Amino acid sequence: MPTVELSHITKSFGPLKAVDDASFTVEKGEIFGLLGPNGAGKTTAIRVLLDIFKPDSGTTSILGGPMTEAKKDHIGYMPEERGLYQDISLERCLIYLATLKGLTPAEAHQRIGAYLEQFDLAEHRNKKVKELSKGMQQKAQLINTLIHQPELIIIDEPFSGLDPVNTQMVKDLLRGQREKGVTILMSTHQMHQVEELCDRLVLIDHGKVVLYGGLDEIRRQFSGHAVTVRSSAALPSLPGVERIEQHNGSARLNLLPDTVPQEVLRALVERNILIEQFEIASPTLDEIFINVVTRPEA
Amino acid sequence: MKKVWIVLTHEFITLLSRPSYWFAILGIPLLATIAYAVAGRANSDSGTQAVVTQLFSGPQQVSSQGYIDPSGLIQHMPEGMPPDLLIAYPDEETAAQALAEGKIAGYYLIPSDYVQSGEIIYTSADYNPLSAQGNSAQFEWIVQYNLLDGDALLASLAYGPLELKTVSLAPEPQREENNPLTYFLPYGVTMIFYIVILSAASLLLSSVSKEKENRIMEVLLVSVTPRQLLAGKIIGLGVVGLLQVVVWVGTGRALLAAGKTTFSLPEAFQLPPSFLVWSLVFFLLGYALYASLMAGLGALAPNLREASQVTIVVILPLIVPMFLINMLIEDSNGLGSTLLSLFPLTAPVAMMTRLSAGGVPWWQPILAALLLAITAVLVVRAVAGMFRAQALLSGQALNAKTFLKALLGKN
Repeated sequence: MPTVELSHITKSFGPLKAVDDASFTVEKGEIFGLLGPNGAGKTTAIRVLLDIFKPDSGTTSILGGPMTEAKKDHIGYMPEERGLYQDISLERCLIYLATLKGLTPAEAHQRIGAYLEQFDLAEHRNKKVKELSKGMQQKAQLINTLIHQPELIIIDEPFSGLDPVNTQMVKDLLRGQREKGVTILMSTHQMHQVEELCDRLVLIDHGKVVLYGGLDEIRRQFSGHAVTVRSSAALPSLPGVERIEQHNGSARLNLLPDTVPQEVLRALVERNILIEQFEIASPTLDEIFINVVTRPEA
Repeated sequence: MKKVWIVLTHEFITLLSRPSYWFAILGIPLLATIAYAVAGRANSDSGTQAVVTQLFSGPQQVSSQGYIDPSGLIQHMPEGMPPDLLIAYPDEETAAQALAEGKIAGYYLIPSDYVQSGEIIYTSADYNPLSAQGNSAQFEWIVQYNLLDGDALLASLAYGPLELKTVSLAPEPQREENNPLTYFLPYGVTMIFYIVILSAASLLLSSVSKEKENRIMEVLLVSVTPRQLLAGKIIGLGVVGLLQVVVWVGTGRALLAAGKTTFSLPEAFQLPPSFLVWSLVFFLLGYALYASLMAGLGALAPNLREASQVTIVVILPLIVPMFLINMLIEDSNGLGSTLLSLFPLTAPVAMMTRLSAGGVPWWQPILAALLLAITAVLVVRAVAGMFRAQALLSGQALNAKTFLKALLGKN
């Protein structure tokens, strides 16, 4: 049974259809990417999922059924920015939010102490939240998301404002959570992070699901009929190759419809071309994202 | 219930940890106590009226006056008259010299034909109609006393032939109409109630609006229900407001009690214990009503600035008794005052003003509290409906019409 299931969800605000018949599932123990351009309906989808908004139509299932008050204590949610009290001390803010998630003040105090050490925030525990840098606040929000050891984590732009060291730490943390069997739904614009972390993804545009599935499957789906060749020698014209494009020191060879890559490799070897790299051309997630979002409506 | 308690204690502790709150809760009573103590030390043997007058108008200028009496009218001085208050001069020249030397503030000339003309001339160094008028009352009394050949009783009756005593069937002791406290006591109570209800209710507006702006509302709604959040906030901030009422009203009562010995304050100005009980009842009900309305505003407005623009619609009924305070004090049992103190939206302030003015029939505060309680329950229920997650996060523009429609459940 999936940890999260959205089935034909539609949600409108006045004339604006924020989510339009969207469906997807998130399986237990996976990191799932929720992608889409600004205003695509990602946040609304998350709010519907969390039962903050009621959908106009469609159904949701979370942790095996409809959302209940008890289930809220098993979910960690981090909105895109802020989400913390600015005028109180960091420690008090985290303790308050942790106790609302069902921890006793003593438990909250103990766990927060450990996390503050881990995130290098221990010396800032008595500072007001507004006195912390954006990166520190982001780390504090992550602590708040993880503190009650949730079964499901929903995070919006987890790497925003983090330096490379902290980004790596958060990535390791998310992988660690996945290894423990925690399900993670991550909404982000940073495609390379999705490529690195996510098992599956959904791309939403104008409220509709335009791309959905496993990362490799989607890459294959969008890989053109081409190969990438890196060689110090100039590439001659080859049978079955429609055209050659130079790109970042590599050549992209677009093949004719009835040519298979093995024929191109054989032709290169026969011509004694020194080949440093030969691979089936696979688009980056960035390219797929731009391709899908900018293509004309069907 | 546990989460309501967590929200409640958080709101309570957060507010109590603000220095500005302690400045407001303790600063004002402290200032009042200092002012009272200073005035009390300076006037330990004078009456309340003098103290109140001094608090509001500063120290009194006492100065001798002179008189020249060619008519021979002044033969006696009333008993207890300070010897240097009125100094006789043989002629106008000597009196004018004394005036020039600053020995006297002015002098009266009683012409020889005074009995026929009734005219007395007063000469002072500069033109000050207020002080001349003040002094002339004393001199008028001396003239009257002498016209009646030094008969103090007769002069007193001629000076004020009618001393009207009003008898009321209400149990509270009657107050002197010309005592400034008769006005200032209810006025003070009105101000206190207006400020504490408004400030406590405004805390709720600011709390909800800030959480929306911080986007922490989103995090909270994944932990608590909107109703748990509303309940926790109303109760938590209500306790904070209650603490303020207790400190302010308690200080007021203590000062009035101290005034009994310090200023010989009449019994009528001691607020009865029932007043403290009614204070708590009307504060709690008034707070519940206005705090819910403010929370509704906070729930619907996208930010504090837009909420503030609609605040006047909510607090207008609370301001009305302030505008009509003279009527509430001077005609406290009239139709207008009674209606204002029974109408739920104006009752929290108007009824407390009337109760401090005294003489309110026993059943009226009970009826007012009942009507107010019913209204508060209805409003809390309506606002709980507004406190839906969608309203809290929609960020749509707010105006008075939208708010009133939402309150009536029409959106």
